[in-house]
Parts: sequence; structure tokens; C-alpha cells
Amino acid sequence: MEILSLLGQGFVVALSPLNIALLLMGCFVGTLLGALPGLGPVNGVAVLIPLTFAFGFNPTSSMILLSAVYFGCMYGGRISSILLNIPGDEPAIMTTLDGYPMAVQGQAANALAISGVASFIGATTAVIGLSLFAPILARAAIHFGPADYFALYILAFATIGGIAGVDPRKTLLSALIGLLLATVGLDPISGVPRYTFDSFHLYDGIEPIVALVGLFAISEILMLLEKSLKNRPKAIPVSSWLPQWGTIWRTRWAMLRGSGVGFVAGVLPGAGASLGSFMSYVAEKQTSNKKGTFGKGDPRGVAAPEAGNNAASGGALIPMLSLGVPGSGTTAVLLAMLISLNVQPGPLLFERQPDLVWGLVASLYMANITLLFLNLPMIGIFTRLMMTPTWALMPIVAAVTFVGVYGISNSVFDLKMMVFFGLVGYLLRKMDVSLVPLVLGLLLGGDMERNLRRAMSISDGDWSILIASPISVGLYIVTVAFLMLSVWLAVRDHRQAKSAPLTEE
Amino acid sequence: MSIRILGVALFVIAALYTRQAGTYAVTFGDVLGPTVFPIILGIPMMLLSASLVVFPSGQVDWPAPQRIGRQLAALAVLVGYTITLEPLGFPLATFLLIALIGIILGGAPWRSLLLGVIMAPALWALFDQVLGLPLDFLGDLFVAH
Repeated sequence: MEILSLLGQGFVVALSPLNIALLLMGCFVGTLLGALPGLGPVNGVAVLIPLTFAFGFNPTSSMILLSAVYFGCMYGGRISSILLNIPGDEPAIMTTLDGYPMAVQGQAANALAISGVASFIGATTAVIGLSLFAPILARAAIHFGPADYFALYILAFATIGGIAGVDPRKTLLSALIGLLLATVGLDPISGVPRYTFDSFHLYDGIEPIVALVGLFAISEILMLLEKSLKNRPKAIPVSSWLPQWGTIWRTRWAMLRGSGVGFVAGVLPGAGASLGSFMSYVAEKQTSNKKGTFGKGDPRGVAAPEAGNNAASGGALIPMLSLGVPGSGTTAVLLAMLISLNVQPGPLLFERQPDLVWGLVASLYMANITLLFLNLPMIGIFTRLMMTPTWALMPIVAAVTFVGVYGISNSVFDLKMMVFFGLVGYLLRKMDVSLVPLVLGLLLGGDMERNLRRAMSISDGDWSILIASPISVGLYIVTVAFLMLSVWLAVRDHRQAKSAPLTEE
Repeated sequence: MSIRILGVALFVIAALYTRQAGTYAVTFGDVLGPTVFPIILGIPMMLLSASLVVFPSGQVDWPAPQRIGRQLAALAVLVGYTITLEPLGFPLATFLLIALIGIILGGAPWRSLLLGVIMAPALWALFDQVLGLPLDFLGDLFVAH
């Protein structure tokens, strides 16, 4: 019952006029960003963070706005998957498999309605899970000492690349680059300037927001420029937006199963929404594909991955809020924003700032209802806006990105830094180096070093303190197991990749 | 090959980083000091990047030369914006940014110019006038010193 009263207080926070306005705006912008191919949740949220800073919103309002954008993106991604056969964002890839065939068969309205309802069920499952489990996890994490936090950060870096990731060495290198960047600036304990090259701009360190806006938003422009710019497919024309409710009702079990699978995938570190929708689709196909209809426009093949996608993206908020360790790219970006606003997510957040946590949870319930409304009756607006050509959209995105970053500090140096990180981000992405560990390293590096040095001061230089508590030993065991699993998977994939051409010859 | 070059580049960065870490003076009362953490990062980074040089993984498909040209042009426009923003003021610099990126992205030139003409002042009005984020209307060039 304690949760209900906390949630009640949360609704008081969420129902303030500013927060309601930000929530509605975030849902609209998010759905649009999700629907537009090329702009996904990570880029969208990264572009908007500097603007929330520039306007000086408090952490709760900023978090409500950006979480609404995050959830909205996950709803919107399916629209272009179904109508264009191009996923609007990465997790919506699975929705193209059955969603586009349904649209081709004249069932676009049904596909859009099923995926809209599935998104609602998935996301609501995740928010209920967030209200129930995040406080429990936070209460357990309150017993963590500095050495345990150090171990937790190591675990975060080992897992953030995900099980399905590429070469684990690249993931670790990416995290190390981020940690390296985090040591730039005045050392907070001794006051020694490190790696500043005598430039006073670098004394305060590298502003994570500037770096990640460059890494995600600017590199996306460079990515777009290497694709063919012409020959964009036409959207499938839809004569009526009215779905058949019976078809939606028949997919109810697929939605619930997808939500469950997706939620678990989202809570696990390093998985995120893409893996959530993938696993939900695969699981649903194994359970229900009796007549071989999957991949040819089966409504359940639309319902399951969309429910999984949204359940996973909501679930990924749990480790971010309760441990301060994000489970996906977008939650890493949200963490960056909270840290920059001097809010340290983790177990203490639930005690010290219940208004932020429960205000956010309450507004996520409201966001889901808003998004259901935006994505069912008002879907026509988004399908029209979705067709905005790239040449008109991206220049404006670039301009807004610059305005936001310039608005934080009025510093041209920050703009140059952002463009530099855009180039770095592009080059790393081309070489299959995930950027999420880098951002995480840049964010957590300072804290990681501080916890290490605090632990070593307690033990007076005895390294064995790092493995003195059962919590840290347990975390290291999980880390090693995870690394071994991902190395094993990488080696297996490598062998398969090598043997595949041989069989063709 | 690209992956090997990446490995070499990261190795050099890690090696210089680790060497530089040794020069930071250790202060009293702080057991590890500012030196040890960077060394803990630098050494595994050297090992991992060296292993990428020896056993590279994955292939990189770089875009065709013409498209690299397009990317370089876009980068030049972005860098150009950081240089021209303060001298030219927000609306003029942003007009150039939007119009040029639009053209590079394959928009018809007159449409891209039109988009810039409309959007640059519109963004200025939105952010400076409506939302209260101060942006220079005229840059340093047009103001008598």
C-alpha cells in the first residue's frame, strides 16, 4: 500500500500544468521522431536534452518530457515499419516482418491498430513493473559500499554491449575510450589538471551532453549522407483508418506474452528494446506459428514484437533509476541528463527525491494513455508528417541541435567539440564499435574513480578490499560469466561466418 | 585494414595516455592519487587495441568516393557554422547552414534556399522571442565597435 500512496503523491507532481504540457508535447514529438525513418529515440532524446537545460526546467520536468519522448518514439517506430517497410527506429525492425505484408494485403488499419494497442499493453506492463520492482531493487542496493559500486560499474561495462553484440573487444575498447575522456579535466580529489593540454576549456572536463549529442545526432547526419538520397519508397495508401476490433482481440495472448518476454529482456542490463522485440517475436513464432503464417502478415507477428519493444524500453528504466546503471542506449542518455542536473540516480534517489521518481512513474502511466490516443484516432497526422523529405528535415534538426548546445553555455568551443565527436562517432559506428559503452564510460568514469579511491583510502592501500564483500564478489562472478558467454557467442558466430561461404562453393 | 588502423590509433592514444599519467604528482592523504586510475585504464586499452591489430574482426564498407565528398562537404558546413555563428549572427549563419545542408542532402537548390529563408528567422523568433533563449540577431560584423 506504501506504493499506492507514493504513486498518489507522484500524480500530484505529474498533474502540475507545466508537467502536463511537457508530457503532451513529449508524446507528440516522440511519436513523430519515432515515425520518421533516421531519427530514433537516442538521437531524438539527445537533441532535446540541451534544450531542456537551456530552458532551465527542473530535473523532474526534464525527465517527464524526455521519458515521454522516449516512450513516444517506441510507439511511433512501427508506423513507418508498417507503411513503408522501413523501420522508424531500430527496435521496430521486427514489426516490418508481418506489419508490411499486412499493409500490402489492405490490412494497414488493422496492423496499425494492433501494434498501437500492443504498444500500450507492453508499455503499461513495464510501468507497472517499474512501480513494483524498482523500489525493491533500490532497497537492496542501499547496502552497497564504494568497492561494491566499483564492481557494479565493471559489470555495467561488461554487459552494456549486450549478448548479441559484436566483437566484445570493441565494446570494452569503447568503454575504455569513454573512461579515458572522463579523466580529462581537474582531478576532483587532488586538484591536479589532467589531459587538459593547457586549454582552460578542458579544465571542467568534457561535458557529456555535448559529446553525446555529437556522437548520436551529428554522426547520424553523416550516416544519412552515405545512403542513396533518392528513390524513397511511397507509403502504402490507406483508405480507411477504422480497424476491425475482432482482429485486435484475437491477438490478446500474443500481446501479453510479448509484454512478459520484452519486460524481462529490458530489465537485464545491456539488452534494451531491440533485443526485447526480437525475443518476443521469436518466442511468439515458436508458440503460435502452427500454419506457417508468420512473415506473411500474421497479426500476432505484429502484436508480439511491438508489445515486447515497449515493455523492454520501459523495463530498461528500472536498472537506470534504481542502480544508476542504464540498460540501453536511450537510458544511458537519460542518465547523462540526470547527472548533468546534479541528480545521482541509484538507491538514494528513491529516498531523497521521491517526487522525481514517483512523479515520473505517474506521468508514464499518463503518457501511455496519451500515446494510445495519439496512435489510434490521430494516426493520420503522423503518417502525413512522416513523409517530410530528408532534405527538409535534417537541416532543421542540425540547426536545433546547434541551438540547444549553444544555449547551455554560449560557447563556440562546445559546438566545435560536438562536431568533432560527430566525426568520431561516425568513424566508430562504421567500424562496428557501439557508442553506448563510450557514453557510459564518460558518464560513470568520474564516479568509478572516486569510488575506487575512496575504497582504497578506507583500506589504506590494500587492494583486497575490492573483493572483501560478498556483494562485490558476486558482481565480479556475474561479470566474468557474462564476458565468457559473449566471447563464446562471438567465436561461434565467427565460425559460422567462416563456414557459410565454404558450403556455398 | 581499417580495423587494424583503428587498433594502431587507439594503441598510440593509450600509450601516450599511460605515459602522461605517470607524470601527475602523487599527493599525501590520497592513497591512489591522480595517477593510478588512468594507468588502470591505459594498460588494458593497449592490450585490447594491440589484439585488434593482430586479429582484426569485421569488415568496413566505406562509402563510394562521391558520397565521401558529400560527407566532407557536410562536415565543412557544420564546422563553418561554428566559425560563422558569432560573426554573422544567428539568422544569417543558420540560413547558410539549413540551405547548404539541404542542398547536400539532395534537395533542389531553390527549395533549400527557401527553407533556409523561412526557417532561420522562424527558429530565431521561436527560441529568442518566444522561448527566451538569447541568440544574437546581428553578429559582431555588423556592429560598429
